[in-house]
Amino acid sequence: MIEDILVVIGMIMIGVGAVADLIAAIGMNRFKNFYLRLHAATIGTIWGAFVPLIGASLVATGCYCLGSYRWFVTGGGIITAFLVLILAPAGSHALARATHRSGLVKVEPCVVDHLNEEMCVKEG
Amino acid sequence: MLLVTALASIFSVIAVYYAIMEKNLVRAVVFSAIQSTIYAFIYYMLMAPDIVLVYIPVAVGLYPAVILILISKTEKVEKQ
Amino acid sequence: MDFSIIQSFIIYVLPIYMVAFVLYTIRALKGPTISDQVLAIDAMSYDLAAFLVVLSIFFKEPILIGTAIVLALWIYALDIYIAKYLEKKEVGE
Repeated sequence: MIEDILVVIGMIMIGVGAVADLIAAIGMNRFKNFYLRLHAATIGTIWGAFVPLIGASLVATGCYCLGSYRWFVTGGGIITAFLVLILAPAGSHALARATHRSGLVKVEPCVVDHLNEEMCVKEG
Repeated sequence: MLLVTALASIFSVIAVYYAIMEKNLVRAVVFSAIQSTIYAFIYYMLMAPDIVLVYIPVAVGLYPAVILILISKTEKVEKQ
Repeated sequence: MDFSIIQSFIIYVLPIYMVAFVLYTIRALKGPTISDQVLAIDAMSYDLAAFLVVLSIFFKEPILIGTAIVLALWIYALDIYIAKYLEKKEVGE
């Protein structure tokens, strides 16, 4: 009984992760600017990678069909999930900081930019 | 499953073409990293996890690091 | 629960992941600046790590799980190299 509940919750999480992946990929193609694409990247890494990894771990825990090696899948999935949860925001932040400091991309819809006034492109 | 592998192979060929034709060498390194990631996926689909475990650190980790050190010591844009 | 139910569910989910990967690859190939390309390949690789774990359940081979950890760790290293190069114009030293 409890195994069935774990499998159903895990499958729902894998489905949510797939839909979030599709949304993030569409957003990555539709946004105009590097700083706007960071939003899509955040959706893709947290909702698209962390959630299905936890879901796959739950499916592997509840399914007896994988044999006794299913604990291997569970442990690997949870470790990968926490690595993604730590590393993905750190990497995005480092990349955004380097891009802004090197002046590679202008801040396009901008109200005020105290770090570097020349990077700010005001509308109108 | 074979269809997925074939699609990944086509995109890796496109990435290799851009990596050869690109004049800016840092962008060429990034195209090479795209090709390496797709190759890791292809090796996974061909059921060779031991090759994936070796290929990812070499082709995604060490190779761009060595090439970027080389580019920062020399010049950034390829000349005619 | 029966394994065939999980397997058929993953069969239905798999095309959504593939469309997402194709769109990420298009952005990684044509992105206007280096930062866009690195961001697209970064997001694609983290999603690929999740997809590899799902596929190892689908193929019923738990030994394939170790590749996901390695992929998630080394893509972060690529991120840091490119960020360091863009900020200081040099790597190493």
